[in-house]
Amino acid sequence: MQTSLPSSSPVIPQSATKEHCDHQVDCLKMIQLILDGEATEQQVAKLKIDLESCQPCIKMYHLEREVKELLAKRMEKRCCPDELVATIKSRILSFS
Amino acid sequence: MSDTPTRDDRPAGADQMLPIDGNPAEQPQADTPARGYTDEQKYRIFNKEFMPHIDSMYNFAFRLTTDEDDANDLVQDTYLKAFRFISSFEQGTNAKAWLFRILKNSFINDYRKKSKEPAKVDYQDVETTYNSEDAETEHTVDLRAESVSDLIGDEVATALNSLPVDFRTVIILCDIEGFTYEEMAKILDIPIGTVRSRLHRARNLLKEKLRDYASSMGYKEESDE
Ligand SMILES: [Zn+2]
Repeated sequence: MQTSLPSSSPVIPQSATKEHCDHQVDCLKMIQLILDGEATEQQVAKLKIDLESCQPCIKMYHLEREVKELLAKRMEKRCCPDELVATIKSRILSFS
Repeated sequence: MSDTPTRDDRPAGADQMLPIDGNPAEQPQADTPARGYTDEQKYRIFNKEFMPHIDSMYNFAFRLTTDEDDANDLVQDTYLKAFRFISSFEQGTNAKAWLFRILKNSFINDYRKKSKEPAKVDYQDVETTYNSEDAETEHTVDLRAESVSDLIGDEVATALNSLPVDFRTVIILCDIEGFTYEEMAKILDIPIGTVRSRLHRARNLLKEKLRDYASSMGYKEESDE
């Protein structure tokens, strides 16, 4: 299964200077791989370097993590109604 | 009957790796090794490996159909199919992914046509549109994490529901149910690369919806496009 989300972001120094990122879409894809627990160690290392200096990528990282957490934690989980569980059980029993 | 189905709590480590054998939503494949389970074994598998996932299944069905009655029917059909084709399930493999795949196929085959969702966008159309303007899809959405963090669950749900169903599906599977890309590829019968790119697009669409919410709530975005 997936690893849980990193609870804190990688190194985010205040001195991040780069205002523009030339490969923002690629960075975004990599950020998503990392948050999904699907990135290789190399990809993680590469992104960490980018996040040390790149302002837009730092913002993207925070946004992606926020949206993912929103979906995982804030959405209402619907539970299966008890009547449906009962119906399925009785239908199954009549099968054999 | 000693082993009647009961509703168990989800066991630890319920997510073993695939493979998912057969395709119970259609006919079982000819090369699927039929497992000669006894009735007692069938009920035990159903009870111990299938029923613990029923809340996740219901949640998935409800997110797909956005309708309680349809979700009820879809979950019931899926579990009956799962029992009928239980011989194509290998005991101890990833039951959750196997069940999700049946549910997804049932939804496509039986429910999608009569689905009550307002935006009836066929994935094929969406895919074509998106591929034809690749530059447009390869973008980032300007939205601040702070404005997202104030949104409530209902707003997220509405934003998610407004996405075309195939985009909605990958987000549900990945972010809500926590499947890996590999599991998603098997549930959806698509290559892992497609899982990745569809997720990327789905998230861009979702962020655009969330941005609309955030701005309608009066949060100031830095960019003004
Ligand atoms: Zn960057």
